[in-house]
Amino acid sequence: MLTFEPYGNPTYFALLGVALLPLMIGLLYGKRSRLYETLVSIFFLVLTFGGSKWTQGVALIIYILYEVVLTWGYAVYRRNHNSGPLFYLMVILAIAPLTIVKVTPAVENGQASLIGFLGVSYLTFRAVQTMMETRDGTLKNYNIMTFLQFMLFFPTISSGPIDRYRRFEADYRSVPDRDKYLGMLQKGIRYLFVGFMYKFILAYYFGTILMPKLQLMAMHSRGGFLDISWPLIGYMYCYSADLFFDFAGYSLFAVGTSYIMGIATPMNFNQPWRSPNIKDFWNRWHITLSFWFRDFIYMRLVFWFMKHKVFKKPTTTANVTYIINMLIMGFWHGVTWYYITYGLFHGVALVVNDTWLRYKKKHRQSIPHNKFTQVFAIFLTANLVCFSFLIFSGILDKIWFLK
Amino acid sequence: MDIKATVLDILNDLTGNDVSGAMDDNLFDSGIMDSMASVQLLLSLQSELGVNVPVSEFERSEWDTPNKIIAKVEALA
Amino acid sequence: MAKRLLRIFGPLILAAILVFAVLASPVTFGFKHISTTRERQAAVSLSPNVLRGKHIKEAALSDGYVPFFGSSEWSRIDPMHPSVLAQKYHRDYRPFLLGARGTQSLTQFFVMQNIQGELRNKKAVFFVSPQWFVKGGTRKDAFGFYYSQLQTAEWLTHYRHDAIDQYAAKRLLQMPAAKSDHFIYAALQRVAAGKSLTKDQRFYLQTRKNMLTQEDQFFSGINLPSQNLSRVNRQAKKLPTQYSYSALDRLGGQLGKQATGNNPFQISDKFYNHGLKQEIKTGNLKDFQKNLSYLQSPEYSDFQLCLDQFARLHTDVLFIIPPINQRWQKYTGLSETMLKQFDQKIHYQLQSQGFNNIVDLSDKGNVPYFMTDTIHPGWRGWLAIDKRVDPFLTKKQAQPRYHTSDKFYEKQWQQLEPSQLSQYENNK
Repeated sequence: MLTFEPYGNPTYFALLGVALLPLMIGLLYGKRSRLYETLVSIFFLVLTFGGSKWTQGVALIIYILYEVVLTWGYAVYRRNHNSGPLFYLMVILAIAPLTIVKVTPAVENGQASLIGFLGVSYLTFRAVQTMMETRDGTLKNYNIMTFLQFMLFFPTISSGPIDRYRRFEADYRSVPDRDKYLGMLQKGIRYLFVGFMYKFILAYYFGTILMPKLQLMAMHSRGGFLDISWPLIGYMYCYSADLFFDFAGYSLFAVGTSYIMGIATPMNFNQPWRSPNIKDFWNRWHITLSFWFRDFIYMRLVFWFMKHKVFKKPTTTANVTYIINMLIMGFWHGVTWYYITYGLFHGVALVVNDTWLRYKKKHRQSIPHNKFTQVFAIFLTANLVCFSFLIFSGILDKIWFLK
Repeated sequence: MDIKATVLDILNDLTGNDVSGAMDDNLFDSGIMDSMASVQLLLSLQSELGVNVPVSEFERSEWDTPNKIIAKVEALA
Repeated sequence: MAKRLLRIFGPLILAAILVFAVLASPVTFGFKHISTTRERQAAVSLSPNVLRGKHIKEAALSDGYVPFFGSSEWSRIDPMHPSVLAQKYHRDYRPFLLGARGTQSLTQFFVMQNIQGELRNKKAVFFVSPQWFVKGGTRKDAFGFYYSQLQTAEWLTHYRHDAIDQYAAKRLLQMPAAKSDHFIYAALQRVAAGKSLTKDQRFYLQTRKNMLTQEDQFFSGINLPSQNLSRVNRQAKKLPTQYSYSALDRLGGQLGKQATGNNPFQISDKFYNHGLKQEIKTGNLKDFQKNLSYLQSPEYSDFQLCLDQFARLHTDVLFIIPPINQRWQKYTGLSETMLKQFDQKIHYQLQSQGFNNIVDLSDKGNVPYFMTDTIHPGWRGWLAIDKRVDPFLTKKQAQPRYHTSDKFYEKQWQQLEPSQLSQYENNK
């Protein structure tokens, strides 16, 4: 039995093309066959989680059953009741498997948890989101089959983008008209091809060819102030480029495949390198994740803090929440000092950014705003981001602590 | 006091800008509003108009201009 | 709608056809030429891509390079390393180093498959590491790392119906790497069962071979590591202009003395500090090889594959059997008797089949500065090897007469105690 990394090789794409062809023809003639879509999904899930990865497959099945029981149980309960503590308990239970998966390597010397599988975090985001909207009363007609389709939608299962239940349901329950679908097809194919360029040419160049050389050089050039060297700086930019092209490439594949299936999965990247500030960067980088954090952690925490008047000033509330929000994001990446520092760095950057924006607003007359300052802002933001990725890359851990 | 005036008051208070002159301008794109201000808006709507908007109802694309906000609040009130 | 669909899918279909046409075609696209610099780089690169490929090896081997089969020892590049000496003293040959950490006989057998033309009636050097002959033979992950579909496909397009290729197929089927291509896997099963390939399988293999050959031509030259070549160049500067064995031997001793000294094993300090030091401190390494044996191993049959391949191609091969650093061997409790018996067994396998060019250094483990670390030759060791390699490659040799035997594929041989060698000989 063969296993495939999603979008990992030409064979995967060939199989994808064959499997999607009947689906495309169906959609062009206004038909959506749930049965066929389910079979295709199962086929690709088996390709990803079968064969030598079967333990992950088992973990996935158990995990899905667990989350179905939680979300379905809560949806039934929520029809007539609304207890705060019970809601918190359910959210904690929903996050528990992910927490175990993320903490295990840190306490077990890098040993991966048995209950982990590719995509566990992205599925958790979807489940928690479903639960929160159920609590808010915005998601009223929870349906197990739709939930399963939403969770197990194969194009996005391994690394997002993180869709929303109601948005997905609306697409899934309807068939786009022919003109609209042709437009989606066109976009889908284009996304796949841009993805090829990103992932298999650019990310390959930066990640596979250039990066190991720079890493080796950086390791050899240790000894200066904080072991910083020119190769390390080169590594920082190279790593950032690889991270972007690899992940944006993958996201293009996932979104492109979704479009071909008539589902408008939201985009994950929107020209992040032209952000004039960190706040804007998070509106353009890994968008579905940062929006998930914004909607389900940041806004809710702010709401709670303000309602209970925890802090006197709104700016304090905002600042504290920025730090908490980004720290959680850091922890989510993994329990290592560099991921957490990365989170903290972005939290602080957001606070500084907000303070500056307020200051600028007040002193609008005396602060110049022109082409040059705009270019400078973009340059500064991009470099700060690259620096944060240097922390994120973990190379500092090797440079400083590897004997 | 009608809803429109109250919402505009809240917005002016929140943003320190007079938004009544540009009722269809995107408040988020121009940087006048952000997540923080959105939450403050929701809280003010609750305290001043008694309109309860859960955070997950706040789909940004439906709340991004003064006119859209007023329409939303009128629908929910 | 048709028009719009054509606009969407037309370019996609066209691109797919073009890519397939280029890859599947048996024509070469002017990538045949490989520059001398690139050959020099590839010959010492030890890059897995070069090993797995064809194009670069083929070009270099038909251009004065001689294949040096082996494993991790090739990476011990000091001034007496065969590549350095050959370059410095303008020998008529240049070693093309094939193998790196983890390559063993089975990998080398497949490596030979697509350089047959360059091996036929030519010379080669083969470095046999006793460490290969452990109980389990080659490690599956290491084999998988160096596994090349191209070489397997090429072999399957010209394999013979004999015990040799049947054994090779069976052995390959035991490796997870064989499953990387479903069709190749099915073909291997037929070869192992002694059946002929089906027409479809032959067609598939031919097409796949063409595709992989094109890929190899297009891509194997990309990202060729160049550090080793600069190391060779740096080391060559340390050598005197005129070759003199005794002068070089003295220099080797001096260099060895400078590079070692912080440990009781006469292991290069650099190697010792790199991990070994910590391990020694724990005391775990004392006598840890006490029960290790190189006497029973599937590797003996894998090694036979290489011998048979050389015999088929009438390649004249010089085998090198290295010693083990004696201080290290004593410390770790590795049995001296066992090593002697290994030597007997491997000698029997070689000589009984007519492979008589053997540089047996197994008794040199106590010569100072012969080894650079625990099991790899350095300084004076490399020089001793060169003393035999140079005349073998530069002087005319008598045509070897091989008479190989399939008995070496039997479990009985793999498991044979060397003490029973004479009995074995009489019974066969």
